[in-house]
Amino acid sequence: MSSSSSSSSSPPCPKKMITLKSSDGETFEIEEIAALQSKTLENMIDENCASTPIPLPNVKGKILAKVVEFCTKHAEAGADAETLRAWDAEFVGVEHAIVFDYILAANFLEIPTLLDLACESVAEMIKGKTPDEIRKFFNINNAFSPEEEEDVRRQNQWAFE
Amino acid sequence: MGAALSGGNGSGVGPGLGDIPESCVACVFLYLTPPEICNLARLNRAFRGAASSDAVWEAKLPANYHDLLDLLPPERYRNLSKKDIFALLSRPVPVGDGNKEVWLDRVTGRVCMSISARAMAITGIEDRRYWNWLPTEESRFHEVAYLQQIWWFEVDGAVKFPFPADIYTISFRLHLGKFSKRLGRRVCYFEHTHGWDIKPVKFELSTSDGQQASSECRLDDTVQDEINGNHKRGCWIDYKVGEFIVSHTDPATEVRFSMKQIDCTHSKGGLCVDAVYIVPSDLRQRKRRVLK
Repeated sequence: MSSSSSSSSSPPCPKKMITLKSSDGETFEIEEIAALQSKTLENMIDENCASTPIPLPNVKGKILAKVVEFCTKHAEAGADAETLRAWDAEFVGVEHAIVFDYILAANFLEIPTLLDLACESVAEMIKGKTPDEIRKFFNINNAFSPEEEEDVRRQNQWAFE
Repeated sequence: MGAALSGGNGSGVGPGLGDIPESCVACVFLYLTPPEICNLARLNRAFRGAASSDAVWEAKLPANYHDLLDLLPPERYRNLSKKDIFALLSRPVPVGDGNKEVWLDRVTGRVCMSISARAMAITGIEDRRYWNWLPTEESRFHEVAYLQQIWWFEVDGAVKFPFPADIYTISFRLHLGKFSKRLGRRVCYFEHTHGWDIKPVKFELSTSDGQQASSECRLDDTVQDEINGNHKRGCWIDYKVGEFIVSHTDPATEVRFSMKQIDCTHSKGGLCVDAVYIVPSDLRQRKRRVLK
């Protein structure tokens, strides 16, 4: 593996493909241009680590396939903003467990566009629900003791005065 | 940070909301309002941590929040987190000698201002045959100017402030008639209220960059309708002067506003003048819908 000494990276080769390997062993090909939307992958490409399949132990095949689809779509030239927005809305119009997977993958791979999209979608799911409704809907434990919860509630009372 | 609290999602279908790291929860919070964020702080530890994140609250503060902090003594805000700064500025901050107040709207973080009648130039205010000051808890300034009677009715005011870029509405808060509490009940007196149904009052505003707006309104109903009641009397009403646009915070915007009824062929009186409000226009729209 040769290390790159120059600070400027060569322009991405059109159609140059990178191979990614999911945690469950599936491989996916993605155009280098699309892969550059991930800062994590961009760093690896810059340092010339991308010649062999890149292992991504934190991302399952099912999710990695969708991430590749997202990055490929967003790297397309000439996509108009409104069509892209509609496509994005459909992309996150899935059950919430999958949206959480997108958040974790986008966080790990540092893809700001996907992270923003998925987080905004979660915000919409949360809006208007009480903490108890959210716990029930998303099935999460309340790790606070009653005193701790009362403390937090009091500290945040100013927002409701 | 990246601390995540594993939730009780043991069904094995995928990560739960409780598995999202604090930094990502902070990203979700960018899309929620301050009250929503504060409400979610008690959900779990990652949410509580994210609800205190400086990055989240910096995004909720107006870009020039330092201009508001400058109105306070430094020890009030030294070492405060961005969340605490938001909380501090969401309570009224006195401007100048306390005859004006400025604050952030809790839901949107937008800047609002109120200017007391004390800060305005009122024709004849020194003459107690015309005007008196009434102490009252119905005003945020704890007093209002009460007009007994006058021919030349004119109230002028001005303010110079670095408002964040937005569209603002100016309004005068007025009350036809005097009021007081008798045995726990609010009572109104209209013995001086006259003249407002004859000609309208003219409201005007202008800015240092040449914007102008005006409106006219009869403050009283011409026919005292016994059946339907007079909805203009005995309650506080916000009379809209107009709107102005702020494109840049710098230089600070200067706005002048006035209300006049100077037709001296008739006298008018029996009116309380509380304050002028300068509020982002769509905020005012939202609140009015809620009140209805």
